[in-house]
Amino acid sequence: MNNGIRNPIVKIVFYAILILWGLSVLYPLLWTLLDALKNNDQFFRHAPWSLPDFPLLWSNFSYVWNKYNFDSYFMNSIIITTGSTLLGLLLAATTAYVLARYKFMGSGALYLLYIASMMVPFILALIPLFFLMNSFHLINTKIGLILVYTSSVLAFGIFVLVGFFRSLPKELEEASIMDGASYFGTFFRVMLPLSQPGLITVAIVNVLNIWNEYIVGTILVNDPTQYTLPVEIGVMQAEMQYRTEWGPLFAALFFTIVPVLLVYIIFQRKIASGITAGAVK
Amino acid sequence: MEAGSAKWQRNLFIASFIIPTFAFFCIFTIYPVAKGLYYSMFDWSGMSQTKSFIGLDNFKEMFKDPIVWRAIGNDYFLVVGKIIGIMVIATFFAVALTRFNFKMAGFFRSIFFIPNVISVVVIGVLWNFIYNPQIGFLNAFLSLFTDEKVTITWLGFTNHTIWMLLPPAIWAGIGFYMILLIAAIQNIPASYYEAAELEGATQWRQFRSITVPLIWEQMKVSILNIMMTTLNGSFVIVWIMTEGGPDNSTQVMGSYLYQMAFRQYHFGFGAAIGVLILMLSLITTVVLQRLLRHETVELS
Repeated sequence: MNNGIRNPIVKIVFYAILILWGLSVLYPLLWTLLDALKNNDQFFRHAPWSLPDFPLLWSNFSYVWNKYNFDSYFMNSIIITTGSTLLGLLLAATTAYVLARYKFMGSGALYLLYIASMMVPFILALIPLFFLMNSFHLINTKIGLILVYTSSVLAFGIFVLVGFFRSLPKELEEASIMDGASYFGTFFRVMLPLSQPGLITVAIVNVLNIWNEYIVGTILVNDPTQYTLPVEIGVMQAEMQYRTEWGPLFAALFFTIVPVLLVYIIFQRKIASGITAGAVK
Repeated sequence: MEAGSAKWQRNLFIASFIIPTFAFFCIFTIYPVAKGLYYSMFDWSGMSQTKSFIGLDNFKEMFKDPIVWRAIGNDYFLVVGKIIGIMVIATFFAVALTRFNFKMAGFFRSIFFIPNVISVVVIGVLWNFIYNPQIGFLNAFLSLFTDEKVTITWLGFTNHTIWMLLPPAIWAGIGFYMILLIAAIQNIPASYYEAAELEGATQWRQFRSITVPLIWEQMKVSILNIMMTTLNGSFVIVWIMTEGGPDNSTQVMGSYLYQMAFRQYHFGFGAAIGVLILMLSLITTVVLQRLLRHETVELS
């Protein structure tokens, strides 16, 4: 039986540490919301932790949404995240299935290549990617970002899904082939539905990573109508030096955080297991 | 012919599942990485007419550039600071939330992970606000204890500003490694701890003799992972919070690469910094693996 901590003072101290750290995480989220309801005057006159004055400036949200064009950044982020997650999932799942179940010349080496690529700093590819996309005329396009993001999530997806497919029993596929189904039919009608938990895990981790991605977005997009949310946040914060609009900045942060927080709350378990799966290479 | 056609079908299936993914991967990952190595040997401002082969001159120039040395120093400062900070705090939380019978352990675990799902850009902006000299949290808090209003420009020192980037980096990294270590601790058979309890071993003794040796593998993975993600990715938070300034004092290799390539159009030099990052992360991986393996022998 685990008795835990016996000394009451130590126990209180440990609880206090946990609670303080919890506050350090939750409080910034709360203040993001509260500060989004203030005007500049309140920022400069009152302490940062003071509550916003009445009437609350809900207009900051509509201001950012309409005047800063967050409606289109939000849509850009949604389209790009959805597109690259789905395409990445399809490409990773197909290859992962074959790597998990079929031996062919070079299959082991191919698997190792994908795994090893996770060790290579992505930043090394940044400069050539810019020129590559430029020569394809894909700078400032959603397609361009979708292609690059899709490629960047392949290795992780293959790694997790190979493991997942290997853990599934072979009998089901064999039965399906015996029944006269084609290889393709077996994959799409039998294996894909069975691997749903693995697919969801990979999809969610990818959604978070792509939604939050900044540096590729900054380099491949310089047309303001094509920005994603993190890219616009970066631009907004740089502009704060000459145009101080703190309330709208926090409203913008709020728009960026809320979708990932919702995804996190809904899929908590999947996210924790999925993210850690990638680290244990 | 029957067998031949079955074999052909199998190969067609394999090819159609392998080739699209691999083609994609070659074009958007392998080719750019290889091309990055290639560009590092050119003097190049982005236009094809001006590209000239200079061999290893970029690397020679790089080692004469004091900012590169400063960037390497800052990178390793962050690596060491993050490894110590994250490992101590994450291990403490992992043990506290599994071994100490605390109430609401699951709740704390969920909360602590939240910074890991938020974009680094957002984290950078939030911490910028904490450090803001006029309206920031830190100065407002310090002002509570002084007569005059505190107006320290926390991100404005030329010598120690890199220290200011450590708290956000640690704060944002804890949850992930905590989850990794919690999973490892939960895999330890409960009977080990029961036996230790029976013999009257304290929690500290149990931690040192059971927990650490048995989760050492995951701790090693965590340390290597912190090192790699820092060398490869710390520049985003640097770029958002200080853009490498003031006076290049917080420059890390990644941010200097970005500045040289995309602000000053020295693409060859930028690519050479990329190669440097690759080399250093490989060397550091090997060195760390050596050091940490040694440690395991001592413990067991």
